[in-house]
Order: sequence, then structure tokens, then C-alpha cells
Amino acid sequence: MENTIPHRVCDFLKGFPPFNLLSRDVLLGIAGRVVVRYCRPEEAIFRQGDAPGSYFYVVREGAVKLFREEDGETILVDQCDEGGLFGLRPLLAGGPYALTARASEEALLYAVRVDSFREVMETDPGAAFYLASSFAASAGERYRGRKGSLFPEKDKLAANQFPLLEVLSLERSKEPVTCPPGLPVREAAGIMAAREVGSIIIVDEHFAPLGIATDKDLRNKVATGLVGLHEPVEAIMSSPVISVPPDITVAGVQIEMVRRRISHLCITEDGTDGSKVLGVLSEHDLMVMQGNNPAILVREVRRCRDAEGLRELRERSEELLKKYLYQEVSISFISTFMTEVNDEIIRRAVQLGEAEMEAEGRLKPQAAYCWLALGSGGRGEQLLRTDQDSALIFENVPEEDKERTRAYFLALAGKVTQMLHRAGFEYCPGDMMASNPSWCLSLDEWKKQFSGWIFEPAPKAVMMCTVFFDFRPVFGLEPLSELLSRHIFDAIQEQSVFLNFLARDAIQNPPPLTFFRNFVVESSGEHKNEFDIKSRAMMPLADAARVLILNAGIAGVNNTFRRFEKLAELEPANGDLYEQAADAYELLMRYRALQGLKNQGPGRYFSPSELTRMERLNLRNSFQPIKSLQSLLRTRFQLSFLGG
Amino acid sequence: MDFNFFRKKYRPRAGSPDYWRDYLACFGHAYGRRSPLDEVRFVVFDTEATGLDIRKGHLLSLGAVSVSGWQISLEDSLELYIRQDYAPVEAAIAVHGILPGGRQGSLSEEEAVIRFLAYCRHAVLVGHHIDFDAGLINKSLYKMTGGKLLNKRLDTAALALRLAGPGQVRQQGAFSLDNLCRQYHIPMSDRHTAAGDAFITAILFLKLLARLEKRGVRTLGRLL
Repeated sequence: MENTIPHRVCDFLKGFPPFNLLSRDVLLGIAGRVVVRYCRPEEAIFRQGDAPGSYFYVVREGAVKLFREEDGETILVDQCDEGGLFGLRPLLAGGPYALTARASEEALLYAVRVDSFREVMETDPGAAFYLASSFAASAGERYRGRKGSLFPEKDKLAANQFPLLEVLSLERSKEPVTCPPGLPVREAAGIMAAREVGSIIIVDEHFAPLGIATDKDLRNKVATGLVGLHEPVEAIMSSPVISVPPDITVAGVQIEMVRRRISHLCITEDGTDGSKVLGVLSEHDLMVMQGNNPAILVREVRRCRDAEGLRELRERSEELLKKYLYQEVSISFISTFMTEVNDEIIRRAVQLGEAEMEAEGRLKPQAAYCWLALGSGGRGEQLLRTDQDSALIFENVPEEDKERTRAYFLALAGKVTQMLHRAGFEYCPGDMMASNPSWCLSLDEWKKQFSGWIFEPAPKAVMMCTVFFDFRPVFGLEPLSELLSRHIFDAIQEQSVFLNFLARDAIQNPPPLTFFRNFVVESSGEHKNEFDIKSRAMMPLADAARVLILNAGIAGVNNTFRRFEKLAELEPANGDLYEQAADAYELLMRYRALQGLKNQGPGRYFSPSELTRMERLNLRNSFQPIKSLQSLLRTRFQLSFLGG
Repeated sequence: MDFNFFRKKYRPRAGSPDYWRDYLACFGHAYGRRSPLDEVRFVVFDTEATGLDIRKGHLLSLGAVSVSGWQISLEDSLELYIRQDYAPVEAAIAVHGILPGGRQGSLSEEEAVIRFLAYCRHAVLVGHHIDFDAGLINKSLYKMTGGKLLNKRLDTAALALRLAGPGQVRQQGAFSLDNLCRQYHIPMSDRHTAAGDAFITAILFLKLLARLEKRGVRTLGRLL
């Protein structure tokens, strides 16, 4: 019967996440160190800009409001009622409080020591994940209104101050080891050995980087006798060196390395190779800085031998996704990274498929081909493993070879889609996959197909367009995809009324809110009373972005929020609206991914009652641009004249 | 601040035990009437006993928390269970659920009182109907040292009375802990353990204190 009071505190805390995820013993340990704090009405618990102490708070009784003070204005950001948790972020992230907390009525708070909690977070993935998702959910707070964000420096904060993350700024890079270009290889190698480094930067008289020589160069070029020991080091260096600015984040470095398939980056004063070298970063440095890492993940995909391996890697990347969402890493980075992983998985699946075909003795045809991702994959927005949408273009072949060629690619696509299925990507319910003979076509056939849709825009054709127009080459001969794009743009130019049909389709999505600003939920079916975030909030934005970007004649920008960003650049008059739409789309992607991770599904449907008040508010705000965009489409494409 | 160095009751007699000397030494400069409430350490405590009569009752358990700067730190709390060898069963046992006979307790009454003194030092003592609880402790203390508790005392029932409207004053039982908890919205889980009641009383005390503060009570003197 000892510890009566901690037991009582425990009984309360266990009713609320993340404490409900902890064992009684652990929770009791935390409860025993709680400080109960009484707050008079209107009393400030902490103020924006204050340095955090060592406690965060759970509301035991009463209510606490969180405000942001900005330019003399006080903006209510959140309210915590009984069981609500606040004041934790600065303790984990470092830095001062970003908000002011004030008791809105008499309140009793349980102040929990962060160190007793930090240990738990490290050992308890459930609790850590809850915090992850609640932090990420509050990313919604970042939603910007017309002007200025709720958290002006939030991005910077998340990027620079979160000690758990990969997005740390690389302030401390090693002092660079450099040498002039004329130095003999032997002496350069001597410097490298003395400084115990695997690379040396060759610099000019102003210390700007000319090239880089690595252990690998010494192995491949010198040890093999290709280059003599007395020749100048510039004979073995790789040039130019990819340079990055000093404020780049670890995540940024990773992306750069993955994209360019290089293992060393040079940090220079202004990020170009024309300025002074400040440091050098190797992949190994990155690995040391952090455990799980996108570059490694992508490389492991490249080495994967079967679907199970792909599945495992994709699951690991989902762990990383969680972490990123939790850390409020920008959606633009997250989607770039996840797209990279998805693409690599598809590439690997196609390669494995080809190998299987060969093992079965099926001869690869002469024709080159290109594997396309469609839909959300094509837009590079697929964060979760939603269904696969794909298509295949093969080179034009003589008529007599065509069916044989198609048969091969269909069989290949069959293997690939099956493999992706086993890796956790559901089959497309509409069978929009390269294994479907309708979507495994030669270039000319594809051109005909698109022309058909464009010149005879029946409703079904328009629907197809929304999926197929966002195609993106993932594997194979990319010029095939470029030729098809060019054909489509030409056709649209010729048949400009087509865009009006597309625009009309874009405004026909069902509205997200009722007249009384409630969420419109499904009225029947499996998802009765749930909100369909995809068709009611995301598709209207994606559809609008597609029409507008096609209308602007821009190819190669597939991402919805990048499309909006591009549009903002092209049409400054509507810049605000487009930026809002881009923000809204990022926010929706984040919500959808979080819901999906929470419910172990595609995240498309969820019940509005699951959302907190703040989340509901944020989502509602994100619907704002939909309406404005639809009226813009209506005017621009004169949809009132088009009828129906 | 009161300076008590030279007052007789704060001077230990020859042969006083160390714990008693230490306790008395704490009062070298105790809180005075002008001490601001924010700076005072209050010890809110409650006891359970074998009976409701101070003369016959013996301590069974003792719970205390300290309140300072509007906070209750659970790390700094006290929960003691006392071994009583004889069993004068009375109604109180049925109420408290603590059986005498050493099943719960491991400390002697004397040890418990010594630990309580070391815990409170010169803090202001707070309790609900504190005279009963302080009386029990004083009874032991007198046997042990010939002295009694020197701390300033506050009764939450009396504080509540100061805040009460005339209607409430006439009401039967209006100032029982149960009724006050109801009035001030304090949840009453596991009542009737000394520590549990001390915790509830501490929360009640904070709420009463805030209301009195609003009426201009800012120093200890105005509170006593």
C-alpha cells in the first residue's frame, strides 16, 4: 500500500496517450516524480521565448490555451483539456518555447520530468511513435493563411534543432584535406595516409575545388599501373566535384548522393565549385552520423534478390517515413525520398523480372521499352504502399513482330506486378497496370490511344486521362516517354477544347464540407460515416494542378505541389492562391500518410471524430483553396458555356 | 521572519534526543507573519488512527505532501505505516480499512513521529481538522520528548469557512472533506488512506489559497 499518491496519478495518466502505452511499473516510476502544479485563471505557465525547464505538462483539471505572439498579435494555436499534453517539443527539440501557455480557467497540471520520460521513449517504440504522430499532426499548424505562417521559422526549427534527426545541419564538417593539382600522386597519397582520410580535394590557388581523388582512384588507377606514382594527382582525380553549401542538411546530402550516385560531396562557401572548400563529406561520414539512412536503403534495394527482400526494405523505408513525418520534415523532401525508394523497388522488380524471363529461356526482343509509373506514383506523391498503377511503352517494331514483342513484355509485366504485389503494393483495382494488354503498347499505339482520348473526350476518356496524364518514366529508355509527352502536348495544342473537358472534370469532385462546414462523410458502403480525403480534398487539387500545368504547356513537373509552385511562378497574379494550394496539398498528404500509418492502410478514409479540434480546423483551412481554384477554372475555361 | 533563538520553548533541555534538537534548530528563523505565501513551505498531512478520540487513539498511518510555490512535488512526500501491537478495534478501522496488528505497518509510532519531524522541519502545517492529527502526534511527542509540535498550523476547514457564504455555514457537515471536495471539484479516489487524504487536502488547500489570495491574502499573517 505504499505509493498511494503516485498510484493515483498513474490511474489518471494511464487513461491518456502516450501513457496508456506504458506498463504500470514504468508509469509508476514516472508518476512518482510528477510535480502537481496549480494555476490560477489566466496565469502563464510558460511564455514564448522562455528557455524550457525540465518538465512538460499534462492537464489534470481545467484547460490551457496555447498562443503564439507575433507582431503584437496573439494567435490561439491550440487548447488542451483534461489529459492533454503540452510543452514537450522544446524539451526534445531544444530551443525556447515557441508558444505561450496560459491557464484559461483554474487548472491543475501534472508536470512530468522529461528525463524520466526520455528513457521511456528510447525503449518504448509505441510511446515514441505516439509522440511522433502527434508532433506530425501538429504539422498542420504550419498551414499558412494568406500571408505569413503560423510558425515562421518552423521549418528551420524542425530542420536544425531536432537532435534525434537526420535533418541536422552539417555545421561541423571535418577540416578538408587538400592539395594542389600538380602534386605527384605519391605525395598526395602520403598526405591522405598521414591525415587518415579516404579522399583528398584538389584545389586551385584560391582553394576552390578542382577535383577529388579517393582511395578508390588510387586502387583503380594507380595500383593497376594506369597512372604512375610520379604523375600529378590531377591525372587520377574525378572532376568536377559536386559542391553543396554549408547549410545543407544531412537529408539534403543524402538526396544529392543518391541522385548523383556519388559517395563524396564537397562543402564550399557558396555551394558552387567556384568558392573556397570548407569541408568534405563522404557517405561513410553520413552513416556514422545516423543509423537508418535513405541512401543506404536505396542501395540495398539495388542489391535485393527477391520480392521478400523488397518488401522488407519497403517496410524499413516506412519506418523512416514515420520518423520523417514525426520530425515534420518537409513533404517535398519526404516525397522525393519515398519516390526514390519506390522507383528503385520498381526498377529492381523489373530487373528481377527480366532475369526470370531469361532463366525461363524467353528471348528478350530487340525493341527497347520504358516502364511508366502512373497516378500518384507518376506524380511522385506515393508515400504509402497504395495500389500500383503502371504502363509500358515499347519501341515501334515491324507489324509482324509486334504481337511477339508484346507477348514478351506482357509476361515481363506480369512478373513485375506480381513481384510488386508480394512486396506489398496492391494490384490496381481498375487494372491500370502494364500487365493489362490495353496498357502495354508500342509508342505509336500509345500516341493513338492518347489522341483518341484527346480528340474524343468522352467522360470515360477524361477519367482515363487523369490517371494516364501523370505518367513518369521509371525504368528503361526514357526518350520513349519524352516522345509520348511531346505528342500529347502537340495534340492538346491542336485540340485545345480538350482542356475544357479536363477542367470540367476537375470541378466535379464532390465538395468536402457541408453547408454548415461539417465534413461530408460517405453516406453508405464500407466507409459509411468516414471522410474520403483522397476524392474530396486531394483529387480536386491534383486535377486542378494537372489542367493548369497542361494549359501552361509545362512537361516534366508531375508533383501536385510542385505544379502549384511552378504555376505561382508563371502567374504571379494568382501566386497567393497557388501557394496556398501547394501548402494545402502538402498538409493533406501528411494527414493521409499519418492516417494510413495509424490504421495500417492507405489512409484514404477516416472518421472525422478521430481528429482533434485543431486537426479539424487545419483540414478545413486546407479546403479553402479548392473552392477558389474551381472558380478560377470555371472562368478560365468558360465552363458555364460548356454545359453539363 | 521570526527570530526565535532566544525564546525558551525553542531551546532544547539537557538530555534531549538529537532528532528533537535538530527539529528545534529548524525554528532558528521560521516563517513570520510577513512571509509571502509563494515562499512558504506548507506540509499538508493527514493521519489515520485506531480511534477518533485523541486520548485513546494510536497512529496507524501518516501521509504528508509539501506545497510550495503553488506546487506539490510527489518526490518530496511522506507515507508511513505504523505497527500497533494491541488492537482496540473501533469504528475508525472499518472506515479506514487499516487493521492494527502490524499487517501494514513496519515502523514504531516513535520512529514515525521522528521521520515526520525531520520531514516537516519548520514548515507551516496544514490539515483538515488538523487539531485531531496534530493532537495525536503531540501525544506521542510529549511521551518522547516532553515537547510538542512548534509549527504554525492551518486548518483547511477553517479556511473554507472564511470563504463560505452564510447559507453554507449553517449547513450540517458543509465543511467535511467530502463535501468540500465536491464543492471544489476534487476527485475523491481512494479516500481514507492517510497519503491519499493528504494529497486531496493539499489540492483543496491550493484552491482555497488561490481564492483567498484573490481577496488580498498575500502573506502568512493574513492567512493564519
